[in-house]
Amino acid sequence: MRGARSLLRLGLAMGAFLVLVAVIGPTVAPYDPAAPVAPQLAEPLPPAAPFYLGTDDLGRDVLSRLLYGARISLLVGVVAMAVTMVIGTAIGLGAGYFGGGVDVVLMRITDVMLAFPGLLLAVALVAVLRPSVWTIFVVIGLVSWTGVARVIRSEVLSLRERDFVLAARALGARHGRILRRHVLVNVVPTILVIAALSTSGTILLDAGLSFLGIGVPPPTSTWGRMIQEATAYYRVAPWLMLFPGAAVLYAVLTFNFIAYGLAGDGRAPGA
Amino acid sequence: MRTTATVVAAATRHAALLLLAVLLGGCTQDRLEWPTREPGSRRGGVLRLAAGDDVPTLDPALGYDTRSWFFEQHLFETLVAYDERAALVPALAERWELSADGRRYRFTLRPQAVFSDGTPLTATDAVGSIERVLEPRTRSQGAEYFRGIVGAPAFVDGSAAHVAGLRAPEPAVVEIELAEPDPLFLHKLALLFAAVVPAERARRLGDDFTTQPIGSGPFVLREWRRSERIVLARNPRYHDSERPYLDGIVEQLGVNPELSWLMFESGELDVTSIPPADFPAVMRDPARAALTIHATALETMFVGLNCEMPPLDDRRVRQALNYAVNKADVITLLNGRGVEAHGIVPPNMPGYHVELAGYPYDPQKARALLAEAGHADGFATEIWIQGTDTDMKIAQKLQQDLIKVGVQLAIKSVAWASFLEAIRQPKTVPVFDLGWSADFPDPSNFLDVLFHSGGANNHPFYSNPAVDRLLEQARTVLDETARFRIDAEAERQIVDDAPIIFLYHPITYVMHDPRVHDYVIHPFLPARVTDVWTDPE
Repeated sequence: MRGARSLLRLGLAMGAFLVLVAVIGPTVAPYDPAAPVAPQLAEPLPPAAPFYLGTDDLGRDVLSRLLYGARISLLVGVVAMAVTMVIGTAIGLGAGYFGGGVDVVLMRITDVMLAFPGLLLAVALVAVLRPSVWTIFVVIGLVSWTGVARVIRSEVLSLRERDFVLAARALGARHGRILRRHVLVNVVPTILVIAALSTSGTILLDAGLSFLGIGVPPPTSTWGRMIQEATAYYRVAPWLMLFPGAAVLYAVLTFNFIAYGLAGDGRAPGA
Repeated sequence: MRTTATVVAAATRHAALLLLAVLLGGCTQDRLEWPTREPGSRRGGVLRLAAGDDVPTLDPALGYDTRSWFFEQHLFETLVAYDERAALVPALAERWELSADGRRYRFTLRPQAVFSDGTPLTATDAVGSIERVLEPRTRSQGAEYFRGIVGAPAFVDGSAAHVAGLRAPEPAVVEIELAEPDPLFLHKLALLFAAVVPAERARRLGDDFTTQPIGSGPFVLREWRRSERIVLARNPRYHDSERPYLDGIVEQLGVNPELSWLMFESGELDVTSIPPADFPAVMRDPARAALTIHATALETMFVGLNCEMPPLDDRRVRQALNYAVNKADVITLLNGRGVEAHGIVPPNMPGYHVELAGYPYDPQKARALLAEAGHADGFATEIWIQGTDTDMKIAQKLQQDLIKVGVQLAIKSVAWASFLEAIRQPKTVPVFDLGWSADFPDPSNFLDVLFHSGGANNHPFYSNPAVDRLLEQARTVLDETARFRIDAEAERQIVDDAPIIFLYHPITYVMHDPRVHDYVIHPFLPARVTDVWTDPE
């Protein structure tokens, strides 16, 4: 258990830094992330003062773009995660607790959703909707709740047969009360773990969508788009890909550490 | 008339994956056998090329894109064709005469013209080829070019079995009679739609003609594996006893520009485009720069402004946007591979010249014009682009420039087909990134088709009765100098009305292996490799 706790501590420390960057990033960023500030266009400058992480082909400062991008990545990660958790938990609770026909219907819907590759579904949804930050929140939430619903349902399936639930039911408690006071509180630890894990999932998905050119549209800088724009330059200007890539890796690791730490045994449920 | 997207750098994101596929696939591909080369001869050798997309068709009645035309012009011949400087020259027709009233052409075919399968090529084939294009069931986009021939409308609606104005009085003589004099008719005959095919067999083969093409061009189709490779071999019956020098052309398909470059660097290709990332380094290295060739394309890249959608319906706003964009920067972003556009017609249009000031970069003037139009605080609008890397790059550059004059430009990236569909709808797309490349070297191919209020390609929905009148007037003037004067007047008026942001005329660069000689870029057609020869191994 000591391993898990230090993992959690490491994750939280990394997370704190990420939040700090996301909050103060735009104020400490040396340049406007969307403006051409380099003395030259078309030829990216390697990392050197005053552009500490170099510039891209449009003459923008990579460091500033990275700092601004942190806010978007974290925001998308957390908000989309919240959407995911709300939908997934509600469906999982309903299916597990009520069982029978409700379970069958909800789980078949889940199966149908699972049958579509998440990224493909997200691409289709973004194509139909107007691309914006809010679209991305909703789309990511809509395509990633299935795993959550399944884990929560299996937890609830065993919980509802436990003595304290039966006792509450015998005392005449309503479903709403039982769900809130007896079932939900007992799945909170699981929810926290999956939430942390799904945050890293949503950050990756957001980066993936941006990489495919359909994420949050420019001029907003996102890590995924930075990587995408860097692909044409990966041999002549590898730093363009390296830094945002490292940033995505850092953010994903952060939330994975938190999830594994929370799970206590180094393994996250439903992962 | 080809609508073009910026293709300097198409999507490169799957480069690594594709590389893997080619490495794996390369081992299983059959080896092609070619004749052994005689020492000291220019003849022999194979040109190795690569391209991203498969070839849409090899049927000249159907092809209407650069990819199809590249192959078609090596398989087929037209009565007249263009030389490297875009001048009309004899091809299948040795010579021709035009009657004094400008309505009757008489073409004399080259003697002993023969198809690649050995059957003689006669005037009947030339007549049948144009009839095949006009026939509704062929569904050729080229049909519109030949409606002006006497009797064509009756033939199209089925009331006549043949086109009355298309005649073959002798086996080697083709006569064409037009309803009205048409200064562009020879250009229309030089289009690959008018390529001479064995018409009867082409009709019988129907949809299979594209896979079993028979023509009289310098090459014949040897193999076409869809999305894998296409191979042409020398036509032994080609009329020129010396050319083509090459034994064949092998083009690998499914190779994006980035991968094409890597393959070129490892010696697997003879000709390639140069990705933007590598371009500066190539040009700084004199040895490699010497292997590049370039030519300004007969093409104009622009940003369309929907003249029916406020606030773009105000000319001052459209002019302001033109002043607000730093075209020199846009060209720098393309590694300098472009010429600033001052008007619509590219500067290298043969015989046509008009001095235009265009819209030099002047954000202050832009702000003043916006204020005059009542938009001192700017406004928000949206640009639609096709999602290639280059389009996205240019859109972001426009975003950077326009925000300086208070105009917020949102970027909407859509697939090519939906993009073309959307810009045709009235009041749908306010701003869009597009290009236009010439089908034939005449200013009307830019002015009339893009800016006549009735034009199918007038996507900015621009309408100026004065301009319409001039363009219609130019349609029947046979004297080129007089016609170009009218065209120039129309262009001046269009530039002043600013229905588009005039961006640039692209400069095409390719790099070739040192063993390849005489590879040239054509001003508006795909490269023709009949004159290309290679050093022996």
